[in-house]
Amino acid sequence: MDSDIILVIVVVTALAFDFTNGFHDTANAVATSISTRALAPKTAVALSAILNFVGAFISIKVAATVASGIVDSELITTTVIFAGLIGAITWNLATWYFGLPSSSSHALIGGVVGAAFAASGAEAIFGDGLLEKVIVPALVAPVVAFLTAGVCILITYRMVGRLRPGSVNRGYRLGQIVSASLLSLSHGTNDAQKTMGIITLALIAHGTLEGPAPDPPLWVIVSAATAIALGTYTGGWRIIRTMGSKIYKMDPAQGFAAQGGGAAVLLTASHLGFPLSTTHSITGAVLGAGAAKNLSAVRWGLAGNIAVAWVLTLPAAAAVGAVTYGVSRIFGAGALGPLLISVSLTMLIAAMFGQRLRHGPPVAPAPPSPPPAPADA
Amino acid sequence: MTAAVDSGALLELVWAAPLAAIIVVTAWGLVVYGTARAGDARRDGRTGQAALHVCMAAVGGTLFVAAIVLGLIVTTAKG
Repeated sequence: MDSDIILVIVVVTALAFDFTNGFHDTANAVATSISTRALAPKTAVALSAILNFVGAFISIKVAATVASGIVDSELITTTVIFAGLIGAITWNLATWYFGLPSSSSHALIGGVVGAAFAASGAEAIFGDGLLEKVIVPALVAPVVAFLTAGVCILITYRMVGRLRPGSVNRGYRLGQIVSASLLSLSHGTNDAQKTMGIITLALIAHGTLEGPAPDPPLWVIVSAATAIALGTYTGGWRIIRTMGSKIYKMDPAQGFAAQGGGAAVLLTASHLGFPLSTTHSITGAVLGAGAAKNLSAVRWGLAGNIAVAWVLTLPAAAAVGAVTYGVSRIFGAGALGPLLISVSLTMLIAAMFGQRLRHGPPVAPAPPSPPPAPADA
Repeated sequence: MTAAVDSGALLELVWAAPLAAIIVVTAWGLVVYGTARAGDARRDGRTGQAALHVCMAAVGGTLFVAAIVLGLIVTTAKG
């Protein structure tokens, strides 16, 4: 009976994480499109939500479970998964509250690492895996994307800088719709899969599913796709504001260079088997596209805050995951601990969303976009 | 610990990712440039130049579509 209740709690928590993943990462795909008025805010999040939903059905490769190669899978229990999810959800909500883009994948890995450490000690953690899958990509993604987007916007201005701004802006707004769509589809494919993997793992641990790598049941695929799409549609407007206009107010050409360049970096990395964080890549690209045009117009203080959030993601989510596991174990190995923690977190989320709904409009109307700079700017 | 990182893939990423991005933005740049210049040429009655710029936009559009299709293949190949 207890194991049934824990399974239900893990499934609901995984879907809650999927939801936060969706609204936290909406900004990656649509922030620059909204900022440059390529898409209206509601249209942008609706398009992104639909493509996230569709993307979730493209890949069901649950064997690539998150944290595999980082944590000893033999030591992962449903309670460890639950505590890891709580760590990730908490970090996602905290960074959303402050409007800081950060990697949901790294938060989930951090949460699971912390919970596994609390459950089994240091031998449960593979340092090499952590270095390869988290630390090196976190350093590489923003740097490569920054330089790439910088070069891309310089090429773009060289090509179209002397043309009339009206037709150029229209052209790049159209291009942004395509790049935002591709990013949304890719996000749904990658991130919904993580939730499917976690629920499948819990079903295996519970004994509902058998075999080394069974396909997830249809209800798992549909619920994960729905949760990420609903989260995306809800829209993490605070982070959208940060990425779309607070770091740097972009023109459509810069928006396209950031999105197109960022998408090319992400998909090339994925093709090479070196997956990078979407958040790190797109944020790096936004900074690069801004800095290449006007270094001083970029708000470097805000960029610094974002970098601090990235550094803190893994240890902070790990700490919450470890504490959650510890608190859960105070109530024994049964379902009481996870149940109490879930209820507490649900009340906290309800309070935060209630405050968000009371405080207002999603995104202020964007001012008219500046024309592209001349070629020699 | 350093053995854990695939330095070959990392190096390839450092040159291949910017190259892919440059191809994408150049392709779309050709579309925007060709379309804008073709419109100007048509208005001035220079039909030859207009046709040339339409061809340029078409080449850019084809490259861009090819890049998007490649992106979709990479996305779906993970399944």
